[in-house]
Amino acid sequence: MKFEPTELTAEESKLQREVRQFLDELLPPGSYEPGLGMAAGSSKALSLALGERGLLGMALPAEYGGGNRSAVERFVVVEELLRRGAPVGHHWTADRQSGPVISRFGTEAQKRRFLPPICRGELSFAIGMSEPDAGSDLAGVKSRAVRVDGGWELSGTKVWTSNAHQADYAITLCRTSDTDDRHEGLSQLLVDLRSPGVTVSPIRFLDGTSDFCEVVLDSVFVPGELLLGVEGQGWQQNTSELSFERAGPERWMSPYLVVEHFLRQHGAAMGEEAESFLGDVLARWWGIRQVSLAVARMIDEGRSPSVHSAMGKDLGTQFEQEVMARIQTLVEAEPSLDALTLFERLLARALLVAPSWSIRGGTNEILRTVIAKGLR
Amino acid sequence: MTDDLLIQTADKAFAATCTHERVQAAEAEGWAGEVWDAAASIGLPWISVPESAGGAGGSVSDAVAVLVVAGRHAAPIPLAETGLLAGWLLATGGLAIGEKPNTVVPGRPEDDLRLEHDRLTGTAHRVPWARSVDRIVALVDGQVVAVPSGAATIDRATNLAGEPRDTVTFPGVVVDEIAPAPRGVDADALRFRGALSRVGLMAGALMAMAERTVAYANERRQFGRPVAGFQAVQAHLVRCSEEAALVDLVARVSAREADRGEARFEIAAAKLLADEAARAATRAAHQAHGAMGMTQEYPLHLLSRRLWSWRAEYGDSAWPRRLGRAAVAAGPDALYRAIAEGSGSGIAV
Repeated sequence: MKFEPTELTAEESKLQREVRQFLDELLPPGSYEPGLGMAAGSSKALSLALGERGLLGMALPAEYGGGNRSAVERFVVVEELLRRGAPVGHHWTADRQSGPVISRFGTEAQKRRFLPPICRGELSFAIGMSEPDAGSDLAGVKSRAVRVDGGWELSGTKVWTSNAHQADYAITLCRTSDTDDRHEGLSQLLVDLRSPGVTVSPIRFLDGTSDFCEVVLDSVFVPGELLLGVEGQGWQQNTSELSFERAGPERWMSPYLVVEHFLRQHGAAMGEEAESFLGDVLARWWGIRQVSLAVARMIDEGRSPSVHSAMGKDLGTQFEQEVMARIQTLVEAEPSLDALTLFERLLARALLVAPSWSIRGGTNEILRTVIAKGLR
Repeated sequence: MTDDLLIQTADKAFAATCTHERVQAAEAEGWAGEVWDAAASIGLPWISVPESAGGAGGSVSDAVAVLVVAGRHAAPIPLAETGLLAGWLLATGGLAIGEKPNTVVPGRPEDDLRLEHDRLTGTAHRVPWARSVDRIVALVDGQVVAVPSGAATIDRATNLAGEPRDTVTFPGVVVDEIAPAPRGVDADALRFRGALSRVGLMAGALMAMAERTVAYANERRQFGRPVAGFQAVQAHLVRCSEEAALVDLVARVSAREADRGEARFEIAAAKLLADEAARAATRAAHQAHGAMGMTQEYPLHLLSRRLWSWRAEYGDSAWPRRLGRAAVAAGPDALYRAIAEGSGSGIAV
């Protein structure tokens, strides 16, 4: 199991410079409260500005409003956004996975309908996977859609659905038939979250925020043309969707700003232990970024790096936890969300949410069984 | 990019000669002539030393790629020393490379080598294979010097893997081969190059260790099934495989950058990661192997003892602070660029 070294091409570096300049102007320090990676806030205005500049749906086909560019180019844009703690929530899921999965499996009509507004930063998506009794064991979803005149009637409950209260659609994994093999008979439906019968309620997160939601689907009518891909192929499509959400920069950058602001606050007065910490995290960030970039390049080469990306996520999220475990021993102040300095606020927020980093998108324990199978 | 053929050729040479028995025997004998001859016959020790200087040509990336293969087979010969390190010093000083194994004085804090006129005096520690090589090459007082090993008093010492790391005393030896080290060739530059050589060797040893551990856990049965079927064991297999893949990747990235410049950031970061991996991955690999991994009859120890030794060579404890101080000096606005662009960001390590 190896990763092949890669680096940005001249054209990719040019994009990086352009994106840096654009974001420096769009998001000057002090104009927003930076957040932590993909869990930073949500700003439709930012998403529209990125869309207008062609920085969303970058790897989607140009005929549907995409950039016709590569996974590596999307990587370049994402890391520039995350390192600024930009409020990416509005477009995050649509840009990362819903758009690509519609592009791969959707009908022509679905592509024409959904991809252009995703690329413009208008449409917001949520992930309709987890349920109260189906987390890691996703094939156990109980949401069920039955055929009715003109489409499907969908009932069930989805949980841990980030951003569902603001999103327009959720690609929803549900059972459409009963089979002996429970990986069969599943389908993905594009569910309009404003349909009658959809009730979105917040599940308050332990840090007090309420982006985490429960979505109750009570006899929701889903038009037939919003079945994504092939009926009964939901498991395979969903697995493919998950591979889009694995080894990206969001899997190792969550605490980045905590460290940057630690350096900003302590600077040259840092003790030896803090210097060693900084050296350790700098080296590991650099190394894990090389891994993450190698995975993006594999995607562009048409390979399906499911085991490599699971490794990248496991390495990245373990490292994120390690950063938090160590940095809290270097800070005298008692953590507080209403601290005066940005560093202390970021630190407090990160301490509260860090456990989620190695859970979301597939727990590390389950990923390791995926990797172990791939190692045999 | 290194030619696959070079890697395959090197792999064939080491696979044929670095048997478990021979690597083990080299610990007692202090030398493995067959392994050296196999490597030397195809020019491996002199890769990256320019042909114009008498080397085999090729890039630093090529040399590191061969070291990865050597590390994979635990090849008990001064491969890094002869070419990438001593060969580099000799070539920069315009001195002859020769056709025999050479070594380099790594430069330990307790060393006290000095030149008095043209005489070399003092003691150098932890000199790889000093007892067996043709010449010992050192940087002393801004000069590259090469001294026949027979002219020194050599006290035998080894690392944890039984590789010779001798103490060498020069009793006022007249130095025939001496040349001023050019600008940029100094103890620190040697430290980085030495670190890069160990990253390459460690990458190979880690990959071999991970593969061996996965294979063992899939063969070894307990409770009626392979132990690799237990999730707790799988976590160990994944850990050592991830660390190995990470170090293998950064070894090649840092070698690529060393072909373009000093690559100080990349080498420091890669050595730091390799050192961490040596701790974490050996622990996971041994845990997955159980008692069998602790025996001499099973070859895991050939790799793990090397990793524990190479970790400490060319500065384990120094790299985190050194990188950290560089990050402090570059300042918070430059932090992300260091992560993304390494040396290219201008960070001064």
